[in-house]
Amino acid sequence: MTTYVPVAETEARQEPGAPHYLNVTHGFRSWALTLDHKRIGLMYLIGTVASFLIGGLLALLIRVHLWKPEGAIFDPELYNQVFTLHGVFMVFFFIIPAIPAALGNFVLPMMLGAKDVALPRLNLASFYLWLCGLVLATIAIIFGGVDTGWTFYTPYSIQTPTAVIWMGLGIFMVGFSSIFTGLNFVVTTHKLRAPGLTWFRMPLFIWAVYSTSLLQILATPVLGITLLLLVFERVYGIGIFDPKMGGDPVLFQHFFWFYSHPAVYIMILPAMGVISEVISVHCRKPVFGYRMVAFSSLAIAVISFLVWGHHMFTSGQSEWAMMAFSFLTFFVGIPSAIKEFNWVATVWQGSVALTTPMLYALVFLIIFAIGGLTGIFLATLSVNIHLHMTYYVVAHFHYVMMGSTAIAFFAGVHHWWPKMFGVMYSEAWAKLSCLLIFVGFNLTFLPQFIMGSQGQIRRYATYLERWTPYHQASTVGAVILGVGFAIMVAYLLHSLLGVRKARRNEWGGVTLEWDSPSPPPLENFERPPVVTREVYDYSVLNPKS
Amino acid sequence: MSAHSAHAEAHGHAPGAPVLVTHHHVSTVAILTKVFLTLVILTIITVGVSQVDFGSANMVIAMLVAAVKAALVMTFFMHLRYDTAINNIFILSSFAFLALLFVFTLTDFSTRKAVNPIHAKRAPIAEPDTHYLWKTPRTKEHKHE
Amino acid sequence: MHTPQEAGGHGAGHDAHHHGVVVPAPPGFVPHVVAHHFDTAEAEFSADKLAMWLFLATEVLLFGGLFAAYFYYHGVYPETFKVGGHQLNWRLGALNTLILLFSSYTMAMGVRAAQLSQKALMQKMLGITVLCGLGFLVVKYFEYAAKVSHGLVPARWFSDHDHVMAGVENGHLFFNFYWTMTAIHGLHVLIGMLLILWVMKGGAKGRFYGGYYLPVDLVGLYWHLVDLIWIFLFPLLYLVP
Ligand SMILES: [Cu+2]
Repeated sequence: MTTYVPVAETEARQEPGAPHYLNVTHGFRSWALTLDHKRIGLMYLIGTVASFLIGGLLALLIRVHLWKPEGAIFDPELYNQVFTLHGVFMVFFFIIPAIPAALGNFVLPMMLGAKDVALPRLNLASFYLWLCGLVLATIAIIFGGVDTGWTFYTPYSIQTPTAVIWMGLGIFMVGFSSIFTGLNFVVTTHKLRAPGLTWFRMPLFIWAVYSTSLLQILATPVLGITLLLLVFERVYGIGIFDPKMGGDPVLFQHFFWFYSHPAVYIMILPAMGVISEVISVHCRKPVFGYRMVAFSSLAIAVISFLVWGHHMFTSGQSEWAMMAFSFLTFFVGIPSAIKEFNWVATVWQGSVALTTPMLYALVFLIIFAIGGLTGIFLATLSVNIHLHMTYYVVAHFHYVMMGSTAIAFFAGVHHWWPKMFGVMYSEAWAKLSCLLIFVGFNLTFLPQFIMGSQGQIRRYATYLERWTPYHQASTVGAVILGVGFAIMVAYLLHSLLGVRKARRNEWGGVTLEWDSPSPPPLENFERPPVVTREVYDYSVLNPKS
Repeated sequence: MSAHSAHAEAHGHAPGAPVLVTHHHVSTVAILTKVFLTLVILTIITVGVSQVDFGSANMVIAMLVAAVKAALVMTFFMHLRYDTAINNIFILSSFAFLALLFVFTLTDFSTRKAVNPIHAKRAPIAEPDTHYLWKTPRTKEHKHE
Repeated sequence: MHTPQEAGGHGAGHDAHHHGVVVPAPPGFVPHVVAHHFDTAEAEFSADKLAMWLFLATEVLLFGGLFAAYFYYHGVYPETFKVGGHQLNWRLGALNTLILLFSSYTMAMGVRAAQLSQKALMQKMLGITVLCGLGFLVVKYFEYAAKVSHGLVPARWFSDHDHVMAGVENGHLFFNFYWTMTAIHGLHVLIGMLLILWVMKGGAKGRFYGGYYLPVDLVGLYWHLVDLIWIFLFPLLYLVP
């Protein structure tokens, strides 16, 4: 056993023909039945990015449709289906699994110095559960789509003739896939850390994914039973959520948001972990206030269970409950702000390398600040009544989900791409695409804040003449955003040709995954790693200074 | 064979020697039997108490007895008492988070009719006729299509 | 600390070359090979056990949702739930409670036998546990049949042709809870029985002994959880307070 010293090997490139996880075995079966966390992560990466592209295409269609006040493409029924599918694909098939299941699967065991996750078979099973969910969702689209919105509120979801049952079962499966992934990561973090890797030497990405996993384990089962009851409701008419049969639809909303508010943090927490890693590596500095950032992840996880009622301020919930929920919601701002300030403090006086991952991280810092601050207005009970169901809400959660989580996902993809495939992409094209995405994103959603605050209601296929300029600006932004992503797909695929080989430690990181060749061998490390230094100790890279 | 020597074997002091007895905790037959008999007695108590009307206390008693039974099953049959701290923490926190679902949902339900006194001073609030949908009798012709 | 022994055979079932620690077994048993990514048998045991407890935590929350809904509607329609509860046969419910408690007891005895490498006793105890599960389902079948004969069937087929629920609001709601909760619980009983049979199959081949009884232990935990849920279901459905 040797102690981890990456200095000498920073520059080393993988020997041509050396065995690594991509070429060690061949053929369809070697992938379909693989138990290697890296291959499973890669399959998730392909699956989630494909879902993202489908969801993105639907979003573009929505924006093009809204070019004209009377709507350009769809009749209203079809429009309802398109925005529902956009939401379902983006939330359940892209954002929730993207960072934990795709990047986390690849990176987390390596960061821990483990050979694999604790339960490799369960890991593969989760992937197939996710795939089955995707198949059921596709069946739902074939059997008439779904037009309830991604929230499936009763009683409409009981009455609509569309394929709610198929979609409900699909999301039930995706939910259990998410539970099993989270369970696997918690066990791996507890049981498979390398010798010397104490809890406070763990990279912040691990802390974030660990907190996310706790949320997945504790919140998702309630979504599971809720969707199951909804399916029973439609098949048997059990009446629990059906007002015609004595049920209370508000109870459905309670159950749904008991999961779906924590789910917002299932989406954002791993993104925060990625940002911590990227900022630290590309600024060559330990993350400022490491322990505070680590604990704030856990704090967010716990607080997120106390606030779900803020989605129900116009549902007929009791006033006392609403006051409690509004009050508690403000507390989420504290750990989120701790993180934001600590990241900024990390960048300050760091030796910032403006690489593509770092650019995405900076975009994240700006957009997350806007997304977080606009949430404070929505948390305020009285203001919420005014803003409820408007484009303001749409803009707010897109700033958090798309502008923060998806951006952080792409920061992570660019950060770990050289490690995953042993190749580097074109930085010039990558920076251009990042710029387009930044401009396009803000142009799409800033106008929505404005028209939302003035009362433009969401989820309608048509709108009043007076909103035309805002909607058209938003559509132009969406097209720019689409071009940005098209460029990204092109240069990433091109990089796989292997024109530029990546170095072993492409960015000069000091977490354990960089102590392995690019791409890594089957069991991750040439020698079992032993950790002897504190986390983010960059002095190891240039011992002379 | 004593538990101690099995412990030594599992830790490799005598590699190759067969592990006949686990080095984990093994419950005695006596304790398992006692727990089972206690559970039976508690079941009888549950049924007995339910035949007497204590008003709303019936629910509290029934749930308390059930909680004691559950605790016995978890502590002894499921070995939690001899299990690691972290396993204890996780399973107990699942009950804690479930409690959150109960507390907030039932708070909403039980204060649904309470009117905020600040509002009450300004104007009388009409009884809304759209809520409390459960007062509507179930209609026979209702269909789910 | 420990001397890992290289496994001779290729039994671990991982992607390429696999090698794992072997836990020596007494005569008549098949030695267990630890999965390649664990250094010791103890690491594997504690990881898998933690995973099982986390899974049980998700089961607690899954059923917890149903219980939360139960309490919610019990608050809305106390009379309905009281009258509905009286329609159920509490004697059969109590019988089933005793059956499940006894099966938990035999399950715990089975795990104990596995820990002590007492193969025959383990198989016997697990067999009794499965039979108890079967007995539970048979009793449940007679209960269900009685309800069906009164038209107290789930949801949209609810007819209540003997008018036992005529005096209360939304009488169907209680029975919808009854059917949903007991059906999901019954499904868990069935899955538990299949899991125990699967463990018995491995037990017959001599896979489980003092050094490796993990599957027996994990399936046991699952079975106890099914019992645990019934402990709450019984008073809430049959003895509605
Ligand atoms: Cu929320």
